[in-house]
Amino acid sequence: MKLAINEIAKYLDLPVNTVERWIRQGKIPVHRDGPDCIFKKSILKKWAVSRNLSFTLPKNSETKHPGIEMENLLPAIKRGGLIHNTKGDSVNAVLKAAVDKIGMLSADAKKELYERLLERERLTSTGIGNGVAIPHPRTQLPEVKENASITTCFLEEPVDFSAVDDKPVFVMFILLSPSVKIHLRLLSRLAFCLRDESFVKFLRTTPDTDAFFERIAAFEKQIDKTDAL
Amino acid sequence: MEAQLFHIFRNTPLGRETLFQSTYFCSKTGAAINIYVPEFTKFLMYFENDVIQINLDESYLTAPGSALEHATEVVMQKNIKPKFIKPKHFTASTLPDIPTGFDFMCCPRSISDLSSKIGIGYIGPRVRRIVKSARFPVLITSPVYKEWSSITVFFGGSANAVNALKLGFRIKRATKMPLYIFTQAEKGHKKTCKDVIKHENLEKEMEQLADRWQIFEKGKFEENLYKVPHDSLVVLGAYGHGFIKDIVFGSKMEKIQSTVSNNLLIVGPNYTATV
Amino acid sequence: MHSLKSWRYPAKWILFRTDDRLLLIFIAVIVGICSSLAAILLNRSLIAILSWLHPFRQIWWAFVLPGIGAAMSSLFLEKIVNEGAGHGVPEVVYSVSRYGGLMRFRSSFSRLISSCLTIGSGGSAGPEAPVVMSGAAIGSNIAKFFSLNDRQRVALVGCGAAAAISSIFNAPIAGMIFSMEVILGEWSSAYLIPIAIASVAGTEVSRILQGNQIVFSHRHFDIDLMNIVVCLGLAIITAAASILLTRMIKYMNGKYGKAPVPLWMRAALGGCTVGLIGLFFPVVLGEGYNSIHMMIEGVFAQGFIIVVLAAFLKILATSLTLGSGGSGGIFAPCLVIGSFTGLAYHRGLVLLWPSVSWVNEGCFALLGMAGLISGMLQAPMTAIFLIVEITGGYEVILPLIIVSTISTTFCRYIESASFYLKDLTEKGHLLRPRTDARVLTELNVRELLETDCIGVKQNMLLRDFINIVKKSHRNYFPVEDEKTGHFLGMIYLDDIRPYLFNPGMYDAVLLGQIMDINVQTVALDDDLTEILDIMDINHLYSMPVVADNKFAGMISKATLLNQYRKELMVQAND
Repeated sequence: MKLAINEIAKYLDLPVNTVERWIRQGKIPVHRDGPDCIFKKSILKKWAVSRNLSFTLPKNSETKHPGIEMENLLPAIKRGGLIHNTKGDSVNAVLKAAVDKIGMLSADAKKELYERLLERERLTSTGIGNGVAIPHPRTQLPEVKENASITTCFLEEPVDFSAVDDKPVFVMFILLSPSVKIHLRLLSRLAFCLRDESFVKFLRTTPDTDAFFERIAAFEKQIDKTDAL
Repeated sequence: MEAQLFHIFRNTPLGRETLFQSTYFCSKTGAAINIYVPEFTKFLMYFENDVIQINLDESYLTAPGSALEHATEVVMQKNIKPKFIKPKHFTASTLPDIPTGFDFMCCPRSISDLSSKIGIGYIGPRVRRIVKSARFPVLITSPVYKEWSSITVFFGGSANAVNALKLGFRIKRATKMPLYIFTQAEKGHKKTCKDVIKHENLEKEMEQLADRWQIFEKGKFEENLYKVPHDSLVVLGAYGHGFIKDIVFGSKMEKIQSTVSNNLLIVGPNYTATV
Repeated sequence: MHSLKSWRYPAKWILFRTDDRLLLIFIAVIVGICSSLAAILLNRSLIAILSWLHPFRQIWWAFVLPGIGAAMSSLFLEKIVNEGAGHGVPEVVYSVSRYGGLMRFRSSFSRLISSCLTIGSGGSAGPEAPVVMSGAAIGSNIAKFFSLNDRQRVALVGCGAAAAISSIFNAPIAGMIFSMEVILGEWSSAYLIPIAIASVAGTEVSRILQGNQIVFSHRHFDIDLMNIVVCLGLAIITAAASILLTRMIKYMNGKYGKAPVPLWMRAALGGCTVGLIGLFFPVVLGEGYNSIHMMIEGVFAQGFIIVVLAAFLKILATSLTLGSGGSGGIFAPCLVIGSFTGLAYHRGLVLLWPSVSWVNEGCFALLGMAGLISGMLQAPMTAIFLIVEITGGYEVILPLIIVSTISTTFCRYIESASFYLKDLTEKGHLLRPRTDARVLTELNVRELLETDCIGVKQNMLLRDFINIVKKSHRNYFPVEDEKTGHFLGMIYLDDIRPYLFNPGMYDAVLLGQIMDINVQTVALDDDLTEILDIMDINHLYSMPVVADNKFAGMISKATLLNQYRKELMVQAND
């Protein structure tokens, strides 16, 4: 095989200087031919294994979870959808009603999700104040594998969530994510939106789907611009 | 990372001219200057596949007390901070090893005619070996301080000439001076040169950076050398023919250096250029 | 054109590309033959010069001969080939440990000629070290010619040295072991095979040209338990003698080094003094193989006092020759001094206990040689195999092992390193493979540079800095000058943590105010050993690297450990 030296260095996960020196010192079974390096793949692989080094050719290394970094608020909220007029007069009741309406889960998963949400609520309330709650399971659901979703539920009647500011909750964002990393990213972005008083006011008007999405998209743009989160 | 130029200081008026020349080169290309004030008349340079002993003549050891001061004085005139090299390792007690990780090295021309020494009236075997082994090009200064305001590359189509061309582009980028390319073309050679440039993917640079490509199809090489601007830095690849050929036909490199008194930058086969 | 030239790049042939063992064996044969020829050449010319000068030995002014020889050899080295004096073995080890065995071409003949002049004229020195240096340089230059890489070149340097010793002593095993024990300091099959081949080639060439003769053949020895026990005493005495020799050479070197005369004058002075001693004790002159012969044969007639005196005078003569700048090794003088010491020990024993039936005195001479060689070189294996091979006697092996090992042990108590490697160890240049020093020397700062730090400007507000902190993976931020880009100082997150959570400070503080300006920095070409020392003294785990006043990156112990380990693994040679 023939490769440029910096490519070999990349596949071996080593600095180019080191590879250059090793070739010169004859410590690595690679030959220099002008700017290129000649080697036999099987031999180099064997050598790398015996020296506890990793040698991966590009094919294997490039398909590494492409989407993770790109998971954004808007697609997740779109995926979760909006639920208006969620009924119930207690935390348990509204959560039950909301979970039942979440589209993409199976019956078993819904049951499990409900239990986990309750479990999380028992630890501390997810009511973050200003009438907003973000219920979420403490550990990830097995059924949520690829895409995160945020289901926005407007409650018919405000419910006492024993939130931090004791204000009754009128809107819940049920956050389901495949990994902690994505969970934190979405949570932090959502929190950024909810910090804005005007947005909470806007939520109190129980807006329709399109207006809501538009608002979120505007926030998302702002976040990406400052790149703060 | 700035480019590094290696200069061996000689504490004589002649050495001062050479240092002026190096400093000028550095100030134009933005390279840093590394000065070695020799304490012994010989030192070693370990290259990738060769070790070269360089013997200096006694004049390099003149007045060691004032050498540092003199060198600093010259370099500071161009507002460059000199860096002095102290050899860290010694092969024998009077034989220091000088590092070789530089980007340029300056070798003076001088009036002395001892062929084995550095700084000889012609490019001796020693400088030739440095050029052959080193990754850096060698700057051969004109006999007295001479500023240059353009770059001339001798391009004949060989691998080293391609290196010279790349180096010419690099210096052009650093200095923004006009870049001329000279080619002495015998019959059909012109096409080969163009093919080489195409093959090396240098067409774009050629168009953007070269201000003039002069191809001589007539006349003797020596006569055409008159066309080289007198205030130009001449960049050329080492023409390696081998010992016998050099004796019979004479080296082109020697011919150039004996005909033009410009500053020469000679590139060897190991020069790893980034365009 | 290309195909014509490719024979100079055999490492690129398909046949050798994947495995170079076969290639190394081929080239090892060439190196072995060349190196052996060089050794024979020196041997022959020594004999020629000795016989040519023989008639002059009787004349009263003969004592100036060694002086003239030494002066000529010094002039030759200084003026013609521009090399330093000395025997050259440290230079070989130095280039092997630091530069992958790169050696100058002139080294392959310079010491041969200069030592020929020194020894031939009567200076007390040995031809072995110069031959080793030549052999090594021949190996190195052949490797250079074929554009081989460092590892292969080192193997060929070892081949050259091994073939030289093998050829001069007709002792293939000793050559191999000397090369591995003293020159390379590494026992691995990758080196052993070409070196063994080169030894065989070298020995064979010497046998064809010189005849297959054992250098010091002897009669049969009967060694009983009593003799083995008294060997302990001999070991201690030889250890003492080798320390004396080491110290004397060093002392003379210092004395002559201060003399305010040109180098060749010093050498001439030393040579003449040796010549004067030689007038009364001709045994001290030259490499002294003849007297060894006599002692092993048991025909060296002089009495106890004379033998002891001869041992001391040989030590004196050797240190005069080498210390004043003559060219040559200590191998042969060691053998001579060793046999004198052994002989003296035997005579002493006979004087004290005349009734005990001691083994032939030749046996003790032989053991003394082993003791001195292993004491000086601190290489017991070389001593054992060399003596076994040059005397062709396996029956002395038991006392031989005892004397060699014990002498080495005692010498190591007093002298920390062998005569060959002392200078190198003192300067920290002895870098044996797979040692800490070697790994740290091979790695350099450039390879360890971490460039993922985000640089900040000194006039930046703390508020803007917070956003950078959010993006950064690191706790360190280099502060640079806006205009020049020069490095000004560092900001460590740990130091400024309190301000980070105080929004009141966000618009009030500039980074220039909170940065640490007294930072220890390192340069790109600093040695890692020094960097680690600085880190240890200041309890640092990472330091900024500054090149030409600009921040180049960080260097940290974590990355160092990572690379250090990889380097160590890779240094393992099969």
